[in-house]
Amino acid sequence: MAEAIRPVESSRPGERGLILWLTQKNRAYYLVGYLLLLALALWTLFPVYWQLATSLRADVDLFSPTVTLVPRVLTGEHYEKILGPSYPFLRQLRNSAVVAIATTVVSTLLGAMAGYALTRLRFAGRTVLARLLVYAYLAPGTILFIPLFVMMSRLGLRDNLVGLTLAYLTFTVPFATWMLMGYFRTVPIELEEAALIDGASRWQVLWRIMVPLSGPALVVAAVFAFTLSWNEFLYALVLLQKQQVMTAPVGLAAYVVGDQYYWGQMMAAATIMSLPPLVIYLFGQRWVIAGWTAGAVKD
Amino acid sequence: MALLRTAERTAVSAAPRTSRLGRDFWLGYALTLPAFVVVVGLVAYPLGYAFWLSLQDIKVGGQGQFIGLGNYARLLLDSESRIYGLFWNSVKVTALYTAGALAGKFIIGMISAIILHSQIRARHFWRTLLFIPWAIPAVVSAFTWKWIYNDVNGVLNTLLTNLGLVERPILFLADPKLALWSVLIAAIWQGSPFWTMTFLAGLQAIPRELYEAAAIDGANPLQQYFRITLPLLTPVITVTVMLSAIWTSNAIQYVYILTNGGPANVTETFPLLAYHEGMTAYDLGIASAIPLVFFPIFAILIYFLTRRMLRQEG
Repeated sequence: MAEAIRPVESSRPGERGLILWLTQKNRAYYLVGYLLLLALALWTLFPVYWQLATSLRADVDLFSPTVTLVPRVLTGEHYEKILGPSYPFLRQLRNSAVVAIATTVVSTLLGAMAGYALTRLRFAGRTVLARLLVYAYLAPGTILFIPLFVMMSRLGLRDNLVGLTLAYLTFTVPFATWMLMGYFRTVPIELEEAALIDGASRWQVLWRIMVPLSGPALVVAAVFAFTLSWNEFLYALVLLQKQQVMTAPVGLAAYVVGDQYYWGQMMAAATIMSLPPLVIYLFGQRWVIAGWTAGAVKD
Repeated sequence: MALLRTAERTAVSAAPRTSRLGRDFWLGYALTLPAFVVVVGLVAYPLGYAFWLSLQDIKVGGQGQFIGLGNYARLLLDSESRIYGLFWNSVKVTALYTAGALAGKFIIGMISAIILHSQIRARHFWRTLLFIPWAIPAVVSAFTWKWIYNDVNGVLNTLLTNLGLVERPILFLADPKLALWSVLIAAIWQGSPFWTMTFLAGLQAIPRELYEAAAIDGANPLQQYFRITLPLLTPVITVTVMLSAIWTSNAIQYVYILTNGGPANVTETFPLLAYHEGMTAYDLGIASAIPLVFFPIFAILIYFLTRRMLRQEG
């Protein structure tokens, strides 16, 4: 439908006025399109807005029987409380950051090494390994969480951020490798050949030529490893039971005691933990979308 | 598991006479070893281990006893056992949940992609905006939706009561007739940007000339959509459906946070059932067996996806 409208674009700038536009051939489609777009924007933004508005609303306002779409009084009290000493939230944010950063570093490094070998070197078992990586990437966590729980318990890595990081490597390493393989293939091989003729070793070629040339792809791999780990829930829920080692997502779920929900605090915590992925997305969109199209994202 | 076995066989047949190792075998193995260790140690081994656990009567902290296919028999056949009803309920719920989520994400993703692909003003801005749910952690949006649906002071209920549309709050998450729908809406909200993205990429790959030719022949936009866009988008749709089917059916956050499987198990998908069996009933055997029953379906999906992805990569 959309494509059909394209010829309209060729119209001269002067024709861009609303009235002229409305007289054009496919205007009905455009009107419907804009209305739908508006509806989609509202549907998309409302929960985000509501989360933010709740986090800034005083409790009296939150529990009043009439709701206003805009907070009557703005307050930072929920943020103060959730970040204060009565909650372990600050520590849990730190845990999340530690695990996400560790996962990102390890998986980008391993991904670059394996990705390079799988695209540029000839050795037996190469295709099998490439295939295994895709299988591993697609293997659902619901099948792995019980055995990983038992394994980590035996290894003494339950309630341990190292154990959680290991669990996260199950999806970030295959993804990073896969993503970087796709990118390495597009790097012209002549550069490497020249370096090899000049006496550089393969190892040097990887770190001196391939990695510097693959900056954007490495960023994409890193961004995804970071966001996937930051947002992960199931493994963290299963592997972490002590509040002190919990990551922010499971910590948030654990604040619910019985039927008691402190919505102001919860939405404040939720807003804080949405910030890293949101900021990465808003400022690194180019990379995010590149990774997305490489089959990066779990929906 | 079948997948792994096939892969192994290929590996054996392609192995190990030195002359056939390839000219870079030494560095090749050195560089891939760490990733290989992760895949084998943290994915393949646990997968095999899950199967082994599923053959045992084993509780958390206890010794396992080998019972063959006993757990599977209890799940699938033994209508006397407690878990039998729960399991078949989870099959039904998972199917409904997955089908509903895929349908919703497809519709919203398609509409969004078509609009974003047309000549609208500020396309970049709208695209950024519509992808925002993807960037929000699933746990966060699950809680936000729970708050929106809340019966006491939840915005949806307050609005409906203030507008005089309902007398008393609707129990969006506690009414067995509504709960699955409510969870679905939250899951669709978060999941549709992925579909928008893949569809948008697919639309951009369709040559413009086709539409120009069709326009000259007098095809209207709807005809063009059904005769050109949809057929040419089919490969993209297939891959997206398969990927999303795996991820959606396995996602636990929404059901866990919004309803925890309730009311009366109407939202207990199989991952949540496995979680409850393993982590609250401490039955590791049953908890391992539940997802493995679904494994053949995933294995088939993964097999086709992998073939396609490897083919794409050339």
